[in-house]
Amino acid sequence: MEELTGDITKVILDGRLDIEGAAAVDLQMNVIAGNRKAVLVDLQKVSYLGSMGLRALVAPARAIKSRGGKMVLFSPNEMVEKVLKCSGIDTLIPVHFDLQSALAALQ
Amino acid sequence: MTVNGTDQTRDKLALRSRLSDIAQLPPWIEVLASSYAIPVDVQFAMNLCLEEVVSNIIRHGYGTEADRSVIVRFTMPREGYFVFVVDDEAPRFNPLSAPELPNLNARQEIRVGGQGIRLLRRFADALEYEPMPTGNRLRMGFSTTGSAVRTY
Repeated sequence: MEELTGDITKVILDGRLDIEGAAAVDLQMNVIAGNRKAVLVDLQKVSYLGSMGLRALVAPARAIKSRGGKMVLFSPNEMVEKVLKCSGIDTLIPVHFDLQSALAALQ
Repeated sequence: MTVNGTDQTRDKLALRSRLSDIAQLPPWIEVLASSYAIPVDVQFAMNLCLEEVVSNIIRHGYGTEADRSVIVRFTMPREGYFVFVVDDEAPRFNPLSAPELPNLNARQEIRVGGQGIRLLRRFADALEYEPMPTGNRLRMGFSTTGSAVRTY
């Protein structure tokens, strides 16, 4: 996790967001969602995203949104992006491939 | 989907109805991918669909029964086409007739439940359900060309 300028928190996820991976990040993501209002989730190193992984992204996004904040996803690989699009999650949690636009969306 | 003729069982994974057993799927698929030169994107789709199907069987089919059987068989009926057959002993359930949630949009509350069926239909090239005397059988086909006929 990194703190960026403008009170933006960058969360770097790494590996597989499958059932085990989702369980491993759930608690920390929920803690972040409970006290941050601008969160960039870096998916560059996520090699796999399943439906439980989607849940691990959506739950904190919902919590942040309910507190008036925003979460964006950054730079998923092609297959992870396909999962995000097929599920429609990309319409609710914006996906950016350019870091500056991702940061701008959180300002 | 029809898998005829030279269909030959190449490998089999026997799981128990514990969510922790799902962790056996990725390394097994990786071995198959290495043995049969399965492309990375097809391997991803296999992982996604098998994880979804097996976790649904364990969570919803068997519920709290922790030591029931889930058998996954792999075949390559022809070059560039791969089939997984998943057998369980859970109560009858056809995932292909289950309703798919409408596409999420910005006006809806964020929710995920039900997206698994959608992902299954998008990522598998063929799906076929067969009720069995003691449970359920689901066949999932994956093509390296993505051009297989979709059968639900």
